[in-house]
Amino acid sequence: MPLETESRAQIRALIAEFRPNHGDLLATLHRIQHEYGYLSREALEVVAEQLHLFAAQVYGAASYYEEFRFEPPAAVDIRWCSGPACRARNGGGIRDALLATLAVQMNGQTEDGRVGVRLGQCIGTCELAPQVWIEERASHTNEVVGNLNAAKAVRLARALRDGATAQEVLRG
Amino acid sequence: MVEITLNGQTVDAQPGRRLVEVIKEQGLSITNLCYIDGLEPYAGCRTCLVEIEGARPTPMQLACVAQVAEGMKVSTDTPNVKSTRNSVLSIILANHPDRCLTCHRRVHCMPGDICLRDDVVTHRCLTCSKNYRCELQTACEITDQGDFEEPWVGETRSYYEVPPPEPDRGNPFLEFDPQMCIICTRCVRACDSLRHTGAVTLSGKGHTTMIAFGTGGQIHESDCDFCGACIDVCPTATLMEKPNKWVGLATDWTNSVCNSCSVGCTISYGTTDDRPVIVKPDRVNPASRDQICVRGRFGYTAVSDRERLTRSLVRAGDRLLPTSFDEALQRAVENIEGVKRAHGANAIAVLGSPLALNEEAHLLVEIAKAIGTPHIDFSHGPVHRAVSAALTGAFGTHRLPSSLTDLETSDTIIAIASDLEESHQVASLRIKDAVVKKRAALVVISAHWGELDSFAAAAIRVRPGHEAAVANALADEAAAPEGVDAAAWAKAIAAVSKAKQSPATSTVLFAPNGVDAALQGETAKAAANLAIAIRGAEAASGLIVMPTDANVNGIADMGVAPGANGKSFPEIIAAAQAGEIKGLVIHADNPLLNAPGTDAIRAALANLDALVVIDEIRSTTAEHATVVLAELPFHAEDGTITNADRRVLRQRPAAIARGQERSGVAILAALAHSLGSAKKLTTVAEVARDIADHVASFPAYSTIDGAPGTTRALPANATFTAKTQPVAAPANVEGILLTVNRSLFTTWAGASMRSEEADQLHREESAWVNPRDAEALGARGGDAIVLTDGTHEVRIALRLEDGVPQGTVYVPHYYDGGAIMALLPLDGAAAAQPIRLRALQPA
Repeated sequence: MPLETESRAQIRALIAEFRPNHGDLLATLHRIQHEYGYLSREALEVVAEQLHLFAAQVYGAASYYEEFRFEPPAAVDIRWCSGPACRARNGGGIRDALLATLAVQMNGQTEDGRVGVRLGQCIGTCELAPQVWIEERASHTNEVVGNLNAAKAVRLARALRDGATAQEVLRG
Repeated sequence: MVEITLNGQTVDAQPGRRLVEVIKEQGLSITNLCYIDGLEPYAGCRTCLVEIEGARPTPMQLACVAQVAEGMKVSTDTPNVKSTRNSVLSIILANHPDRCLTCHRRVHCMPGDICLRDDVVTHRCLTCSKNYRCELQTACEITDQGDFEEPWVGETRSYYEVPPPEPDRGNPFLEFDPQMCIICTRCVRACDSLRHTGAVTLSGKGHTTMIAFGTGGQIHESDCDFCGACIDVCPTATLMEKPNKWVGLATDWTNSVCNSCSVGCTISYGTTDDRPVIVKPDRVNPASRDQICVRGRFGYTAVSDRERLTRSLVRAGDRLLPTSFDEALQRAVENIEGVKRAHGANAIAVLGSPLALNEEAHLLVEIAKAIGTPHIDFSHGPVHRAVSAALTGAFGTHRLPSSLTDLETSDTIIAIASDLEESHQVASLRIKDAVVKKRAALVVISAHWGELDSFAAAAIRVRPGHEAAVANALADEAAAPEGVDAAAWAKAIAAVSKAKQSPATSTVLFAPNGVDAALQGETAKAAANLAIAIRGAEAASGLIVMPTDANVNGIADMGVAPGANGKSFPEIIAAAQAGEIKGLVIHADNPLLNAPGTDAIRAALANLDALVVIDEIRSTTAEHATVVLAELPFHAEDGTITNADRRVLRQRPAAIARGQERSGVAILAALAHSLGSAKKLTTVAEVARDIADHVASFPAYSTIDGAPGTTRALPANATFTAKTQPVAAPANVEGILLTVNRSLFTTWAGASMRSEEADQLHREESAWVNPRDAEALGARGGDAIVLTDGTHEVRIALRLEDGVPQGTVYVPHYYDGGAIMALLPLDGAAAAQPIRLRALQPA
């Protein structure tokens, strides 16, 4: 049987309130991703135990949703908006600038795990296009940076890469 | 039954049945790529379209969803049906290779051919291992009836536009090639509904939808048990057996039986060039039906050709040298008769094998008679007799009428078994069936965790040696015995109370291990008491006893047991050690693997003047032999076995002899003949007739063939008593106790040779230690540790496990060729003597 470890116990405590009914699955997964930033294999197994499902069923459900991740995210994720308004205002150029500055692929992260660029779905703040939003794991902040141009995007990526926090970047 | 019209023919069919099943039964060709017989329709592939007259909203209906109704008029081959099916198939084929259908050379090339100059190689025509046995390929051919036109001409085909996804070839049993997948989800539903394992799922969405194992990693990291149920239902080459993947197109099929545990699943060997290349379940045994486990499916590959013993061996000093069969036989007879002349027939003993056929066992008894010795037994003999005596005490006979098919229809099941999932997987599966489909209450009594625990209403964890006492306390509905979790106990008592309200659908299952005769005898008494407490006078029909090995019941019935003044297995070993027994004939058994007390056995074997071993491999016991006679592997033998519920199942040869191998029956018959047996039996048929004539209630082959799978070696019109017996109180032994069990992946043949590849997954090569015990020991998971009884040492990797309580260590019986047996005394009383653990530096 799976060995009870401290990390499993922590996950179990985190989701203790959820019950074995299909309605609780997504809420459970959200709780875990909010806390850890991603769904680890271990977490999926604990969820399966808690909700009396097979681990594969939990993974199958989670993998349907683009927002659930199975690898640890970067400390700060730049979510690049792929919506039509942003695209119309040089969103593609912003993306290329971000990826080139950080030397990463889309949905990848820098080697030190500090900054990542991930695809975002339009959140409707199209008046700020082109935009990205900055997701910082530790503080659970998610702030929009709008009216970008390529130069601003490069500055933003450099600052984050060189260790600036999301707050500093947003202020500056 | 109602009448329906199928393509103009009137057919009788069960109302409410799924139409597709009826159509298939009528031998009509119909495409269907996602339906699994017996399960609810999934209606995903849409290829089983038929026309049903008057159906709404359209006559075009899915045959898997449509249910038979009176007067239904069904057509499967109208032009409209065909063209619609064709359209559906073109959608499926948009993301699947099609060269097997369109290549201009396809009628010329055969599996194994490579046409280097044609582009078919790059288009993966002959790189498809399912060629000529692919359901999708067949479906396309059916639809167009041999006049195939490419329905996608001029369309964009995603298959050729994207790079193929990575296959998973990380394990020795199952290959997963996602580029062939048509997302029919049969594997997902088979794993979930037929196996209750749930290792396969659909992942992703849209174009990225794919099946995935476990949490998306490799197959061997998931819960997959490699039973291959998904392989059986996969319509394409997505999930395939790894062994013989490319040559699995069998030219012939042989109905046979698996000999790796006492369920006796019937299997069918697909053979090519007189050797098995693939195994499918054969529905003869009503308990196993369409399911088998990894041992049944891949057992035939356990021994490579190189490892098989193909020539007989005789001892020349320190070495065993190959020789002809006749010379080896002559030497064996000289050896045995030499001992007989010098020390008398009483100085010779005979050992049979619980994995051997009834026919072989019968001849072995003839050999003992010809020699004139009463000393005949097998390594699990003492356990079997202790259990039989306990059952006879309770029911008046140990031949119980209970049936394995009762498991899945039970409302309450109480399993006293170390880990049934590992030792008898298909029996475990039928218990899961009862729990999942009938909401049966399951109580498991075991010294360590097993997968069945997660299906149990109550999992009672006991200290090794206390199984009998705890089961008996449950029969008495007594207070929770010391050390048993009170909450689990209350649930178990509730299950027993529930069972008493519906006794006819309550089953007690007991799976003795093959090691500790005294304890297994007491546990059998307790199991009988429990069955009597629940079912009263009908108890004999409600107790299933599952010996560890395949044919324990059979060879005991044949008379492989000590005669008058005969010595039992441990007595034979002790006598050999003391020099009283000088000659030993061993057929297919390996006491060094299968029996406790390795030291005594090794000393006994070394002390013999003559040791004649008949085996298919060079086992660790054969290394001590004076003569080794090379036998065919089990899958090439002809005969019968008697499984746990005494079904007599036919084993038929699926391979021919290589080198100088002979069948066990031929070797033993020749040996019996040379030793002067009065009976002149030579062929299997003759032996079978002799058995039917002389062994009570054993059926003739004609009877077995007339009712395969249901013919049982049970006395007719037997009456059964129901007598409770007292169960001895266990000793309270302090310290760390050992518990052993047959594990799933390690094969007998591999372990018997002490092969490093006996467990190809390398999953069962560790000792389970409770984290607290490990902490006290100063060892971490994965460290090498030493288990010792003070004299012997066994080195093994440590696995941290909450599944064993503090003070218990579980070691798989077959680890390192049965190495752990060295720590047990000759009587196998593991629970009487604590062992010690010692940490080594991390290896």
